[in-house]
Amino acid sequence: MNNYIEKNILPLVTKPITYLGNEVNSVHKTPDQEMIRFAFAFPDTYEVGMSHLGMKILYGLLNEEKDIWCERVFAPWVDMEEQLRLHDLPLYGLESMMPLNEYDFVGFTLQYEMSFSNILNMLELGKITMRSTQRKEDEPFVIAGGPCAYNPEPLSDFIDIFVIGEAEEVILKIMAAHRVWKKVGGNRQDFLKMAAAIEGVYVPAFYAVSYDEMSGVITAFTPIAEEVPATIRKQFIEDLDQAYFPDKIVVSYTETVHDRISYEIFRGCGRGCRFCQAGMIYRPTREKTVPTIQSKIKALIASTGYDEVSLSSLSTGDYSEIETLIKNLVCDAEVGKVSITLPSLRIDSLSIEMLEEIQKVRKAGLTLAPEAGTQRMRDVINKGVTEENLMDTVRTAFEKGWGHVKLYFMIGLPGETLADIEGIADLGQKVVNEYYKIDRESRNKSVKVVLSASSFVPKPFTPFQWMGQNTPEEFMNKQRHLKASIKERKISYSWHDSGVSFLEAVFARGDRRLGLVLEKAHQKGCRFDGWGEYFDLEKWTEAFAEAGIDPNFYALRNRDFDEILPWDFIDTGVTKKFLKAEAQKAEAALTTPFCPESCSNCGIMEFKKGWKCNG
Amino acid sequence: MVKIQYQFKRTTPLRFLSHLDQQRLFQRAFRRANIPVEYSQGFNPHPKMSFALAMSVGLTSDGEFGEVMVSKNIDVETFISRMNQVLPNGLEIITAKICDEGVRSLSASLCKSIYRIRIKVVPETDLRELSESIRSYLERSQIFMQKRNKKGKFVDKDIRPFIESIAVFADSEKDKVNVKMTLIYIEQQSVKPEHVLESVNNQNSTVFLIDPTIEIHREELIIKADA
Repeated sequence: MNNYIEKNILPLVTKPITYLGNEVNSVHKTPDQEMIRFAFAFPDTYEVGMSHLGMKILYGLLNEEKDIWCERVFAPWVDMEEQLRLHDLPLYGLESMMPLNEYDFVGFTLQYEMSFSNILNMLELGKITMRSTQRKEDEPFVIAGGPCAYNPEPLSDFIDIFVIGEAEEVILKIMAAHRVWKKVGGNRQDFLKMAAAIEGVYVPAFYAVSYDEMSGVITAFTPIAEEVPATIRKQFIEDLDQAYFPDKIVVSYTETVHDRISYEIFRGCGRGCRFCQAGMIYRPTREKTVPTIQSKIKALIASTGYDEVSLSSLSTGDYSEIETLIKNLVCDAEVGKVSITLPSLRIDSLSIEMLEEIQKVRKAGLTLAPEAGTQRMRDVINKGVTEENLMDTVRTAFEKGWGHVKLYFMIGLPGETLADIEGIADLGQKVVNEYYKIDRESRNKSVKVVLSASSFVPKPFTPFQWMGQNTPEEFMNKQRHLKASIKERKISYSWHDSGVSFLEAVFARGDRRLGLVLEKAHQKGCRFDGWGEYFDLEKWTEAFAEAGIDPNFYALRNRDFDEILPWDFIDTGVTKKFLKAEAQKAEAALTTPFCPESCSNCGIMEFKKGWKCNG
Repeated sequence: MVKIQYQFKRTTPLRFLSHLDQQRLFQRAFRRANIPVEYSQGFNPHPKMSFALAMSVGLTSDGEFGEVMVSKNIDVETFISRMNQVLPNGLEIITAKICDEGVRSLSASLCKSIYRIRIKVVPETDLRELSESIRSYLERSQIFMQKRNKKGKFVDKDIRPFIESIAVFADSEKDKVNVKMTLIYIEQQSVKPEHVLESVNNQNSTVFLIDPTIEIHREELIIKADA
C-alpha cells in the first residue's frame, strides 16, 4: 500500500508531504506480535493537529514504552479523502501507513465540538464500524479524551472508552490493562470492563439514560454493569514539574498553524472567569519550576531547530515567577537566539513591558481580550479587568510604537443589554482616543483598532451551564446594533456567524440522543464544520429533522438548577454548589477574587486528599 | 564570515517538499547541527542562505547546490558530517567547499540540467518511431510555446535554445518510457522538462501522458566552474 500511495495517490493531492509520516523526530519502530499499536487521531487537518500540545505529549509518552508504537492520523483534506474513496483505500496511520482498522487503539482528541463530524468520517475512512456496540472482536478500541470529553455524551454511541481529565497517567494504566488482557485472552467486553475499573475512565456502553417523555429532560443516569462507578472522577497530574514532557517533538515540513515550540509553563487557572470552561475543568493551578522550563526549552530547541518558543498556559502573565523566567530565558545563550512569544496575556501594563523585553523583531499587532464592553458585564463574567487596566495597557503599547490593536469580545452573555453592546463600540473609541493623546513624534504612524465579537456558547462545568444561548436572531440584532454604534473610521469591525456557534452550543451541552443526528449529518456529507467553506447548516437542519430532535432544546433552553444535566456524572472537583453560587453572583454582578488572593472554595481542595492549592 | 557552497541529493522520501518547506528544513537543520549561520540585519532577520534553484514538488535530484554564510570558519568535513547527522532520510549533503569572496552567485552560474524522466505514454507506442519524431522535433531551429509572462499574459516563447538533447529509452513498465533530457540555462532562464514533453506532444501527436504521477529526476546540475 505504502509504495502505491506514494506513487499514485500523493502526487494528485495538495501538501502530499503531510501524508507520509517521515518528519524529523517522528517515531518509527519495528513492530512485532506483542506490540500495542496506537493511532493518535486528531479530527482536523494536519496543520491544525500538528499545532496541538496534547498530541505531542502523549505521542512522546506512549513511544517511550518499548512495546507501544504510537502513530498519528489526521482528518485527510477533502482532495485526499476523494482519492482514498475513489481507490477504495483505507485511511492509515502516517508512520507505518497501516490501515486504521488494524490498530489496537484509535485515540481521538476532542478539542472542539465542530470536529465531531470528522471523527465519524475518519472512522468510516478507516473502515472501522461506526457504532461501538456493533464493533467486531478484532476491531480497534476507539478511545477519546480532551476538553470536549467532559461532556462525552453526544459521542457515546461511537467511542468505546473516554478518558476524563489529564491523560498522562490514565493512558498508561489503560495500556497496562491491555497487556494483561492480551495475555489472558479475553474478549472485547472483558477489556472494556477492565478499562472501566480504572479511575477517570468512562465506558458509555455500561450506563443507561432515561428521559421524561413530556419535557425531554433526563430522569436518571444509571450504571448497568457491575462494578462500574456511578461517578467518574476527572484525573489531574499532581506534580506537573516532574510530569513527562518530551525532549523531542515532531517537526513538520509544511507550515502549521502554530509553527513553533509550545512549552506549557503551568496548567489550570485561578482567575475564575465564569464563561471559561478551561478555567474550571483544568483546576487546580499547577506550575512548573523555572529551572525545569529552562532546561526543557533548551533541549527542545536543540532537537528541533525551531527559532520560536511560545510559553503556553491559560494565562501566561499569571505565572508566579514570570519576570524571572523571561529574564533567564532572554539571558540564556542558546535560548536567547530564538524569539519567545507570550500568548494568552492578560490586560495589564506589565505585559507590555514583558513583550518589549522579548520582542526583538517587528511589532506585530497587539491582541487583547476585554471580553465585554461595560464594567457591569465584565463583573458578570468575572473577567476582573477594568477599563483603567485596558487604557493603561494600550497607552503603554502606543507609547512603545504599536499601532495595531485587536480587541476580542463576546456577545450574548447573560443579562446583556443594548447598553452593553454599545459599550464595545465605546471601548474601541476610547482606545483610538488614547492613541491620539500620544505625542506625534513617538507614536506609530497609523492606528487601527479591530473589534472582534464572537457569539457566546455556554459550556458545561461553568456557572453559565444552565443558561439558554441567544437565538440566532438576537445575535444578528446585537451585531447590527454594534455595527451601527461604531462611528470612528479607525475602527474596523467584522463579524461572521453562519450558525456554527448555535451548533456548537447544541453539541457542547448535548446528550446521547444526538448520536443519531451526528450519524445522519455524516451520511449527508458533513465534515470540516469548523471550516467556513464546508459548514452547511442546511444539512444539519435536515439531520435534526430526520432524527426527530429539536436543536433548540439543547442550545436555547434555560435549565433549572436541579435538572439532571447530561454531564452530571462527571466530577471535576469543582462542585455544582460552587457553580450555582457563581451563577447567582453573576446575576448580581458580584465578582469572585483570583485564587491566590482568596480561596473561594470551589471544591478542588477537597477533591483529592492532601492537595493544597498555592502551597 | 565565509560562504559554504554545498551539493546535496534529494531522494524519494522527501520529493514532495515545496521550495519553502525545504528552506525551512535547512534553516532548522543548520540550527540542530550547530552551524553558526549569519543572519541579515534589520527588523526581521533571516538566515543568509540560498539555493541555486527552487526545486519543484515531486522532483528528486542527485546534485542540487546550496550556499550558506557562516560567521565562524568551519571545516567542510565537519559541516558535512554534522549536517548529515541531522538531515532527515531523503536529503544528504554530498560535497561542500569554502568559497572565496566575490565569486558569482549560484543562480548566475547555472549551465545545464540533465534530467531522467519516467512517464506514461499512449499504449502501443513504438520506441523507434518516437525517437525518430523527437529527432525531427529537434531539427527545428525555432520551437514556439505559449508561456505565461510575469504579468500573467500568454506570450509565445522560443524554447529551442534551451534544449540540448532528448533521448528516449524503454522502461521496466510497459506503459512507460524513460526520457533523458539536457536543458540549458541562458541568463538564469530555462524551460521545464514537462513543458518540453508537452511541446513534443503539440508538434506531432500526443505520445507522453503528462499527469502528476510523472517522475522527474535531475541527474546532474552543471554550474560554471568558477562559482
